[in-house]
Amino acid sequence: MAEVKRQTQRRRRSTHESFLRYRSFLFLKIATVAGLAMSAAYFFQDARPRPSGGSPLGYFLGTLGAMLIVWLALLGWRKRAVSDSYYSLKAWVSAHVYLGLSLIVIATLHTGFQFGWNVHTLAYALMLLVIASGAVGVWAYVVLPNALSENRGETTRKQMLADIASLDEMIQEAAQPFPRDTAAIVRLSLETTEIGGGFWRRLSGRYPDCPTTLALRQLEPLGHAVSRDQAKALGEVQGLLERKVAALALARRQIHITALLEVWLFVHVPATFALLAALTAHIASVFLYW
Amino acid sequence: MAQAITLRLITRQAGGGEIIRTRHIEGAEAMIGRAPDCDVYLPDLAVDRQHAMLRVTAENRVTIESLTGQPFTADGKSTLKVDLDVLRAPVVTFGSYDLALSEGGEGDIAVTVKRREGDHAPTVGVFSLKAAMFSRRRMAWTLGLAIVALCLILPLAGAGLLKHSRIHPDQQWSSGPLSKAHQFLEKDCQACHQQAFVSVRDEACLACHKTTATPEATLRLNASLKARGSPFIPRLIDDHAVHDRLARGTPLPPSLGGKATALIGRAFNHPNDRCASCHLEHTKPAGPIAEADRPQRPTLVITNDCATCHAKLKMRLGDTTLIDTPDWGHHPAFRPTVTLAAGPHPQFERIALTARPQERSGLIFSHRQHLDPGGGVARMSLQLGAAKGYGGALACASCHHPKPGGAQWAPIQMARDCGACHSLAFASGGGEGRLLPHGDVGKVMETLQAYYGGRSVSTPPAAPAQTGRRLPGDFRPQGVAPRAPSGGAASGVFRAAFSPGGACYGCHTISWGGDGPMGVEVAPVHLAARFMPRGAFDHSVPAHGGQTLGGAACNDCHKASASDHAADVMLPDIGKCASCHGQPKAKVAAAGSAECTECHSYHHPGKATPNGQDRLFEAIFGGTAGPARGMPGA
Repeated sequence: MAEVKRQTQRRRRSTHESFLRYRSFLFLKIATVAGLAMSAAYFFQDARPRPSGGSPLGYFLGTLGAMLIVWLALLGWRKRAVSDSYYSLKAWVSAHVYLGLSLIVIATLHTGFQFGWNVHTLAYALMLLVIASGAVGVWAYVVLPNALSENRGETTRKQMLADIASLDEMIQEAAQPFPRDTAAIVRLSLETTEIGGGFWRRLSGRYPDCPTTLALRQLEPLGHAVSRDQAKALGEVQGLLERKVAALALARRQIHITALLEVWLFVHVPATFALLAALTAHIASVFLYW
Repeated sequence: MAQAITLRLITRQAGGGEIIRTRHIEGAEAMIGRAPDCDVYLPDLAVDRQHAMLRVTAENRVTIESLTGQPFTADGKSTLKVDLDVLRAPVVTFGSYDLALSEGGEGDIAVTVKRREGDHAPTVGVFSLKAAMFSRRRMAWTLGLAIVALCLILPLAGAGLLKHSRIHPDQQWSSGPLSKAHQFLEKDCQACHQQAFVSVRDEACLACHKTTATPEATLRLNASLKARGSPFIPRLIDDHAVHDRLARGTPLPPSLGGKATALIGRAFNHPNDRCASCHLEHTKPAGPIAEADRPQRPTLVITNDCATCHAKLKMRLGDTTLIDTPDWGHHPAFRPTVTLAAGPHPQFERIALTARPQERSGLIFSHRQHLDPGGGVARMSLQLGAAKGYGGALACASCHHPKPGGAQWAPIQMARDCGACHSLAFASGGGEGRLLPHGDVGKVMETLQAYYGGRSVSTPPAAPAQTGRRLPGDFRPQGVAPRAPSGGAASGVFRAAFSPGGACYGCHTISWGGDGPMGVEVAPVHLAARFMPRGAFDHSVPAHGGQTLGGAACNDCHKASASDHAADVMLPDIGKCASCHGQPKAKVAAAGSAECTECHSYHHPGKATPNGQDRLFEAIFGGTAGPARGMPGA
């Protein structure tokens, strides 16, 4: 029995190799060697009056960095192109991560540690922003998918929505005997509850003024002040609202984790385009005013 | 009888399609509400349980009135009571239900009840952050295009169209500040970057820095640059050599990487023999820097040092007259420019010191005799006394006087520097001596004739007998009576002066068969102002000293007390320079640099290194180089 379990584990390990561990950290090794080699070249060069993008090594690092940036940006195209050739997507992502990180060394050495309020430093800053957001993305992709599947368990996202929708229908029906004021409280939940909400709610996962919770709270004191058949309806609605609160919480946790998983891309992708534009301006301006 | 009401309920099915149910309401009224017993039953929490009453008031006219004070919507307007013409097919809305009124088929009024589709139920898309955010793609393009527009297109347009405007968007392309010298060009990128995709060319630099043809042109250049805001007078330069020869004379760098860099640079039209290859701008770390940190002038980076080209120049430039100088240790011997022949058209030649050049100055002079502490000169100096600046054996400074600044020596002047002993007096009158004019034989005769009455020479004076030097005022013209107005007197004095023992004879070479008065011809004299006019030797440098400056004594370099002839060139050998220059400080206190530019100027080939630093509208390159004497190509 133990033997079988061990075999299963081994198989899982061999088939599920993350992009970080791809081919025993092949691209991490390449990036490290490249970074060390460039640093050594930087410190042993004889650049006068001081190292800069205009020295021979500076031009080399700049060319290498620009080519890397363009290639890294091509991941956006590669991931859409369903293909068996051009190496696996996993290989691309692995290289994208490690070579992208090596850009910190390459581009910083290219600057010769000279920064200012100009288009050149703009390109450098945007590159760092892209890399930083990408690092967040790596963290998210390593940590969050587990949390995501743990949260939803066996429930699909469609089921979560269907649960909430059917609860809404049941609440609507159960609340029919309510007079206008009480009905208005129930309508709060039915009509104004947002499952996801805005950016900050999704990112924080906090919904302090959720209308469904609010409705539940407002219905509480009414228990004594209604007729008998209304009291029955009230109890029913309260029960349903509580179920809706739970269903919302599950969906919102899913949304929160998804937001953490996706938020970096909203920086990474636009910043990449901005970087490509700034890089173009940087290179063009350098040679326009050579 | 009032019209009846026909109620038509339309229910949408989940799988598509509609179910229509029809019901007749007798009477002219119909209750609208959420309560199940209402005539028009609308199970929507937004509708009150008994919300409103619909009444038929006339032919095809109805009123709908809210019973609870809660409004409803009629034809898009929120209201509590409305009177409607059925023929106009009005629509009344309660909650999510639309009640469409129309003429019924049998003369009654039809009310069609239809539930509006609510907001679309959320799809799984709601789980993605995309549901709450801007479109990544749109944001990406917006940012990208904005940066291209602001950082590339705007500066380009600014460089072209808005050149004269106050804003200069192309300044964002500057990688660092300019030096103080060029700061006034900071908003005018194209002053230097004249052609797109072409590295800064020498023409851009020479527009301000090329040596002007005339002093007037220099003044005009200075005025125009001052008007543009330059605080400094530009340093004017000459080509180090004709560009083609310079290119041929320059070897590729010795290292493989250097060769590759140079060749790639050439291939990309970025050669390293441009002004901007050595004089770099925008090199200071960019960003806000204190004004004091701004470098004074462009950073100098020497791409090729002197020895790179001058080590084996003859190999690459066979016709050069320059001697290869691989390094300071192999510097060729000094080749002073010596006078071959004085006269109105003096001839000069550069002859190596090792070949013992002879300076044909035309004078007869012995430094040894004048400096001998036990000789007649010293005795005479004693007689003159300290009050007159003498008083003992002569020193160099007894006769040689520095120019203002002390870098060089003023030319020897006979009256000032020799006259204390070598009197030119020929007569005394009224207590004051009469002096022969110096430098012009004709004028000597004229002076004598004017003094003695201008008569012709009849009796030559007796041969002059005096051989010793005369003190000033010690007037004893030989064989001539004082103030004797005789016709032969002038000639006699004249002849005596140019004869052995005469005032002129000891120092000048005199011949008697020439075109001068009485056939007297004095050999032309040319005193060297500088033997090495291309050097920048500065006697005022403390270590170079001179007697007055506490440094080296004159005799350390110039062996005057051993020189018997005026023709001796008493320059020290370059080894003397090397005893300090190129020595370590630890070994020689007065050690100095052995850089080529210590003496030679790159930008003024054949001239001295310009002294002084940046000048705020002072003279340009004034005073350091002596008068150029017969320099080839000068």
